[in-house]
Amino acid sequence: MNGRLLPSLALAAMFLVAACTRDSVDPPPAGHTARTPVDLAGPWYFPQMTVPANNPTTLEGIQLGRRLYYDPLLSTYGPMAGRSCSSCHSQELGFTVPTPPSNFLNVLPHVNLGWSTNFLWNGEVQGTLEDIMRFEVEEFFQVDVNLLRNHPEYPQLFQAALGTSSITQDDVGKALAQWFRSMISSNSRFDQYLRHEIALTPSELNGMTLYLTETGDCFHCHGIPLLTDNAFHNIGLDSVFTGSDQGRFLVTGNPMDMGAFKASTLRNIAQTAPYMHDGRFATLEEVVEHYNSGVKPSPSLDPIMTKPGKETGLNLSPQQKADLVAFLNTFTDQTFLTDTALASPF
Amino acid sequence: MHRPSAPFLLPVLFGLSILATSCAKDDPATPAPVAPASPEIMRVAHVVDGLPLTYDTLLYTNEAGTTFSVSRVEYYLSELVLIGSGGTANDTLHGPWYVNAAGTTDFELTSLRTGTYSGATMLLGLPPELNLTDSLPNTIENINMAWPVPMGGGYHFIKFEGHFLADSAPHGFAMHIGRNAFLPHCEMPQGFTITGGGGKLLLTFNLNEVFRSPHTYDLASGNYSMGSAVLMGQLRDNCANSFTIAYEP
Repeated sequence: MNGRLLPSLALAAMFLVAACTRDSVDPPPAGHTARTPVDLAGPWYFPQMTVPANNPTTLEGIQLGRRLYYDPLLSTYGPMAGRSCSSCHSQELGFTVPTPPSNFLNVLPHVNLGWSTNFLWNGEVQGTLEDIMRFEVEEFFQVDVNLLRNHPEYPQLFQAALGTSSITQDDVGKALAQWFRSMISSNSRFDQYLRHEIALTPSELNGMTLYLTETGDCFHCHGIPLLTDNAFHNIGLDSVFTGSDQGRFLVTGNPMDMGAFKASTLRNIAQTAPYMHDGRFATLEEVVEHYNSGVKPSPSLDPIMTKPGKETGLNLSPQQKADLVAFLNTFTDQTFLTDTALASPF
Repeated sequence: MHRPSAPFLLPVLFGLSILATSCAKDDPATPAPVAPASPEIMRVAHVVDGLPLTYDTLLYTNEAGTTFSVSRVEYYLSELVLIGSGGTANDTLHGPWYVNAAGTTDFELTSLRTGTYSGATMLLGLPPELNLTDSLPNTIENINMAWPVPMGGGYHFIKFEGHFLADSAPHGFAMHIGRNAFLPHCEMPQGFTITGGGGKLLLTFNLNEVFRSPHTYDLASGNYSMGSAVLMGQLRDNCANSFTIAYEP
């Protein structure tokens, strides 16, 4: 293109934009400050994240959500007094902790939840991150927004992030949702392998083949790249179900949901012990052994768990089990576990 | 004072002309655009020998006499060919469409040719050129339908899961089909007339046909198809007659 034309075209385009903008866009509300949009696209093999139109992700929103995540102020007068989200979700442990508060199920990790629509072990909350955050703010932490409204800094931070300083529980949930969308793990050794950046060891490759074939059959519920299908499965942990072990049944009342729990992601699985909803397995070796020989029959056992000849397990050799664990270890994402942008701002 | 040169004036005039047309939408004197014709809808219905599909309930009986329930029905449809009354292909809708019987069953079609048709054909799954790993957009649904690379790559054509009674106890079944050799080609010989104007092209999937003909499928001896060429071949054959087609004005 003729170089002399570029400035002229730019001028014309600027004029065009400016002229139309005045007629088609409402003036910003009083106190409005510019917000910085953030594109949360993962690697090419990740699905596109769905972001609600009424809560676009911005740098200011993420920063506010991060601060709220690490601030015990949220729980001051609630049943979790003295705790912040981070009290039970430690970054170096993949945003979980080994010991849940008393009377709680094993702590699920906070990672890649921007792609999730089922939340908590039994899917008690479904929908968007805004929905689960509303639950956390209103019911779990019972946040007293007056503490935020009267805080010396939060009104300004909410103004910058959401254009409001009146601060409702809904606003708190929106800020947290933006922060959660930014908690993306996509740089594990397995990710690097997928991007042809590194090679895996022979043992890890053997484990990958087991994972991705009917021999190990992990892929149906823990598919690539999110390593969860976001659905509920009874994987044969029990034959008799009482209390919280009833899982999804407690939400739906459907007998075929008895003992079914959300397939948790395997990202950073080596850091998130113990395993299962009740933390019954301390190591990945124990988990693999469950699938290998410990599957218990029940009427609601997931169909995927009922292969002919493998009704009680996979019958893997010791070497195959070791290879599978080696592959599971490639899901560790040191970038995610040490990223200072995900660490406490305090 | 210098006169503006032509290279300067032209783009400015161009910009102004765009400005004039782009802002014209606000001009009350401009006629309102003609409303587009009502979109046609393709709706996929699911039944079990005339009974509505109810999940997780052991109330169906297949051709082999086995009582079964349904817990998952997800699949792709593609290459829907509408056959004209003269017996030649008159319209082809390529898709693909991801169907989840529990939710995603309506699809807006950009165009449907009006006319009388003698039937249709369709793929239950994906054509070979699309049945390649990562060929479809990375939606959550497509990711969960992936057929792993070590098993050939591409996508599951269908996941049909549930439970069946054997020795009075429920057992699981998972009818999964994938790989090009097992792609079901569906025949729908029902005649229909498309009148246009916002009607529905109705495809009905009778899930019991998956177990019926030409192979009377015995779940007790084949409850898990993935990885079995024999079982996937039987399911491919049976699926060929599992859909019917109609048009509702």
